[in-house]
Amino acid sequence: MIWEPLKLSLLVVTIATVIIATLGLALGLLLAKGRFHGQELLASLFMLPLVLPPTVSGYYLIVLLGRHGLIGGVVYNLTGWTVAFTWQAAVIAATVLALPLMVLSSRAAIESVSPQYEIASYTLGKSRVVTFFLITLPLARRGILAGIVLSLTRALGEFGATFMLAGNIPGKTQTMPLAIYEAVISGDDKRAQLLAIILTGVSVAAVYFTNKISKGAIRYY
Amino acid sequence: MFGQSGSGKTTTLRTIAGIVAPDTGRISVGEDVYFDSATGKNLSIQKRRVGFVFQDYALFPHMTAEQNVAYGIKDNGLRGASRLERARAMLALFKIEHVSKRYPQHMSGGEQQRTALARALASDPAVVLLDEPLSAVDAETRSQLLPEIKSAQERVGIPFIYVTHNTSEATHLGTKVVVLHGGSVKQTGSPSEIFNRSENER
Repeated sequence: MIWEPLKLSLLVVTIATVIIATLGLALGLLLAKGRFHGQELLASLFMLPLVLPPTVSGYYLIVLLGRHGLIGGVVYNLTGWTVAFTWQAAVIAATVLALPLMVLSSRAAIESVSPQYEIASYTLGKSRVVTFFLITLPLARRGILAGIVLSLTRALGEFGATFMLAGNIPGKTQTMPLAIYEAVISGDDKRAQLLAIILTGVSVAAVYFTNKISKGAIRYY
Repeated sequence: MFGQSGSGKTTTLRTIAGIVAPDTGRISVGEDVYFDSATGKNLSIQKRRVGFVFQDYALFPHMTAEQNVAYGIKDNGLRGASRLERARAMLALFKIEHVSKRYPQHMSGGEQQRTALARALASDPAVVLLDEPLSAVDAETRSQLLPEIKSAQERVGIPFIYVTHNTSEATHLGTKVVVLHGGSVKQTGSPSEIFNRSENER
């Protein structure tokens, strides 16, 4: 009974975290190092899910990806398939909603690395790419790691937007937060309790872990 | 290169290294032209054969002394263990082989300075730029390091451009002293020509 939502949450969070880590790091790098027009506008756009009510983010996702959505409509007409009410929709909702935390953390981490180290690397004949992977990334690793843990936790707890785009189908799109909601509604206190305890445990561990890695960061910069 | 703070010494070094681009002029080391506003030539930092010793050394904090030096070694055919071996040999030249496995934060100012110089030399530069490298060490270490820098220069036989605002460093190290003031060259000459004339003494 409890394994279905647990398994699904695990699947959703794993995939979402991989996407968030790579995409968020790339965006953080772009925003930290890029000097282009509309940079802050782009940054604000990616921050939106952090400040909007999750149901509003979910609504926009439906407008964009739903069966009659701007992109979703085209996909549906071409393939007869829609992402809405599938487990992939839960991945998308979790990814979009948790991404800002990763972008924020990795941008701040990359910006906190003194440019002096990068310049020193250039004078030693190393390219920008080599310098990023061997100097900037290792020096920013604590902040980046903290960002991954934070966004993982946020993705795990995603409720509102997931409900909107993926629905609440047991065994298909019902992740742990949705299962708790369902359990409470139907008066299954034991189940709600157990799920809540598991989620609390994971979240407390994540915050503890994040604090530990960020504390160590002070030594370097 | 001698001058008070704000005279443009560091900026001059940074233009030679290619960290900042000047508006006009020409920068060349030997036959190699690094920058020429007349032809629009502007080599990237990586393509200029410049070894840079920064004021705060800029040793990579996540690498040991030998890893720092090995990072700079140009020879790409050299891998792993033999790269570190070469790095240790370079540290040995500065008599600091014992810090090979140490991270910069566990090294003294003098050891960091020597590691930074070894790293700059590892990249097979055509010129070495030193930006007030002794400003962060105590007087005793400074008097030890001055002759070491001089002998390192004589050993590798390439020009060192040493920036300082300290008269005794300029006198001890310089074969030619350039006095900068307010962003332009005020005087050039041998140390004795420059410092025996009273007008530059404070």
